[in-house]
Amino acid sequence: MVELLAPAGNLPMVEGAVANGADAVYVGPRGWSRRRDRYEMSDEDVRNAIGIAHAGGAKLRVAFNTNMQSHEIAPMLEKMGRFVSWGVDGAIMTDIGAIAEVHRRFPHLTIHASIGANILNNEDVRFYRSIGVSQVVADTKLTLRELASRKEQIDVGIEILIHANKCYTYLGKCWMSPYHRLERTTDSFGKDLFKGSPNRGGLDYRVCMESWELYSGEEKWENSVALKNDAFFLLEDIPHLIDLKVECLKVQGREYPVPLVERMVRFYRNLIDACLASPRDEVFDLSPWRSRLASIQMERDTARSDGTRQLLMEARQPLPAI
Amino acid sequence: MNGFELNTTIANLRDLRASDLTDYDGVYLGDIYCRLYESNFLEQLDDLKEGLHILHDQGKRAYVATYAAPRNDFLPKVRKMLEASVAAGAEAVEIHNLGILRIAHEEFPELPVHVGGFANIYTAAGAEVLRGFGAVRFTPNYELSLDEIHEITTACGVPLELLLHGKMPLGVSDYCFLLDYEEKWRVKCPDLCQKELFLKQGDWAMKSLGKGILSGKDVCMLEHLPRLLAEGHRHFRIEAVSESPEYRREVAAVYHAALERAIAGGGDVDEGSWETLRRHARIGLCNGFYFGKSGMDYQGLRPEALGSLPTISRAES
Repeated sequence: MVELLAPAGNLPMVEGAVANGADAVYVGPRGWSRRRDRYEMSDEDVRNAIGIAHAGGAKLRVAFNTNMQSHEIAPMLEKMGRFVSWGVDGAIMTDIGAIAEVHRRFPHLTIHASIGANILNNEDVRFYRSIGVSQVVADTKLTLRELASRKEQIDVGIEILIHANKCYTYLGKCWMSPYHRLERTTDSFGKDLFKGSPNRGGLDYRVCMESWELYSGEEKWENSVALKNDAFFLLEDIPHLIDLKVECLKVQGREYPVPLVERMVRFYRNLIDACLASPRDEVFDLSPWRSRLASIQMERDTARSDGTRQLLMEARQPLPAI
Repeated sequence: MNGFELNTTIANLRDLRASDLTDYDGVYLGDIYCRLYESNFLEQLDDLKEGLHILHDQGKRAYVATYAAPRNDFLPKVRKMLEASVAAGAEAVEIHNLGILRIAHEEFPELPVHVGGFANIYTAAGAEVLRGFGAVRFTPNYELSLDEIHEITTACGVPLELLLHGKMPLGVSDYCFLLDYEEKWRVKCPDLCQKELFLKQGDWAMKSLGKGILSGKDVCMLEHLPRLLAEGHRHFRIEAVSESPEYRREVAAVYHAALERAIAGGGDVDEGSWETLRRHARIGLCNGFYFGKSGMDYQGLRPEALGSLPTISRAES
């Protein structure tokens, strides 16, 4: 049965996601996941999150999905060891060296290849399978046909983002943000937060969403070019994804307010349950779901565009003097 | 034998024929961003074979690039391209995608593999994994600083290749926004990305190459060659896939001479070299991420490298 995976940027969000029907929740330890540190957790909070999830019958995954530094592998393994001893159910990872090391050290831990691994073709999937990954997040640009081919040909779990952003560039293959601003700060545990580099675990300034002028040489050709960047909710595809027997439908949004995440999780819980309960020989009627989603989408779009404005302003701030 | 390798990238036969490669030791053939790039070596396999022969006739190492972001439907052509590369005696293939790496390792084990910057090698542990798949040279991800790169070389001793000068790749897309303007500008694909196009906002700038986004500024490591050599680096790229033959020739001449001087123990750079680099850098010079700062910053000892000598455009050069 398909699993609904929800985000949690704090403990109330873990509680809210579980209470509203998430089968699994993911969190990021501070400095080690693809979000700014305020939406990540201390080790103690991760421990509590595991407890809350398990008490509600849900799984808890921990995201170590940064491209880390060579010397960070050892502290990452130490941290992972703590989480494994506390009963974490899986790790979401990107860096191939880190994946291989974790698989060697914790062979029974389920490793999910993060969206940041940017797994685009079936041979990519086979590569990640060979280094210990058992479930992969599908890039948001892939088509249903590509997913079906993956499902047919390879014994691998497939995770689909049903509420996420489709960047202009392939995620994990973009460093536009730190090109414009990279702030090196370390937290109280000595972890470099790489503020400005999402691949390295810091916030993404979303510079691609700037209104760009386009020049050919010195001549201005356009005043305002937008690089396509869409936030989306999947609705129409969900019945097909369930038919395809994908393993996991994932909602993103650790940075959103808790009530919004609760509404999103509840919506998808109800939708998945209704899909699963509907007779297989009938076309599932999505019309009542469209209007319900519209109001959630409006609230999410406002939160997202406010966030983008703020990030673009932050990106223009001078770096603090060292 | 120089004691170093200076190489570059050329996307099609026309640019290869127009380029004076005297100061290069090797060339990567092909545009890694887009299958529709004009006469891309990676799609025109007869051109690719001819390009490899031209390079060999000139005594150059002939390498073949591969796509940065290949989907399933790219793979049959990639296999043919690898087959053609082996048949024509390519010295190595540069691979950015781990699926293609797996294909090369299993189906073309005799072809040496260089791992490209989009393969996201950030750690020594990552390089070790890919060494197990036959990789013999690595371009670390562009986000790494020289200190982080040094960690990789000291931990596993693999040869690394570094971007020495030119536009640094910043991202790759499946979608080309230039296509939205074909009618308005009356320029069609594939001519669109032959224009010298920059996205700008205030002091921000990026170069557009269709589905590829590159840095607006030219990464410039001219004054840091002694450090690069002292840290054991010997393989260097001038990233010029979207540049003119004059850029390719003049920038290589500057670096070839400077590398020879640096190897002989001299680190000084003449003013004429700086002037050449400044003339060709429309937006200016930067150091990328080599010093752990924002990629568009210049951290060198010579702030005048950022000076405002007139630049020349591709059309004028």
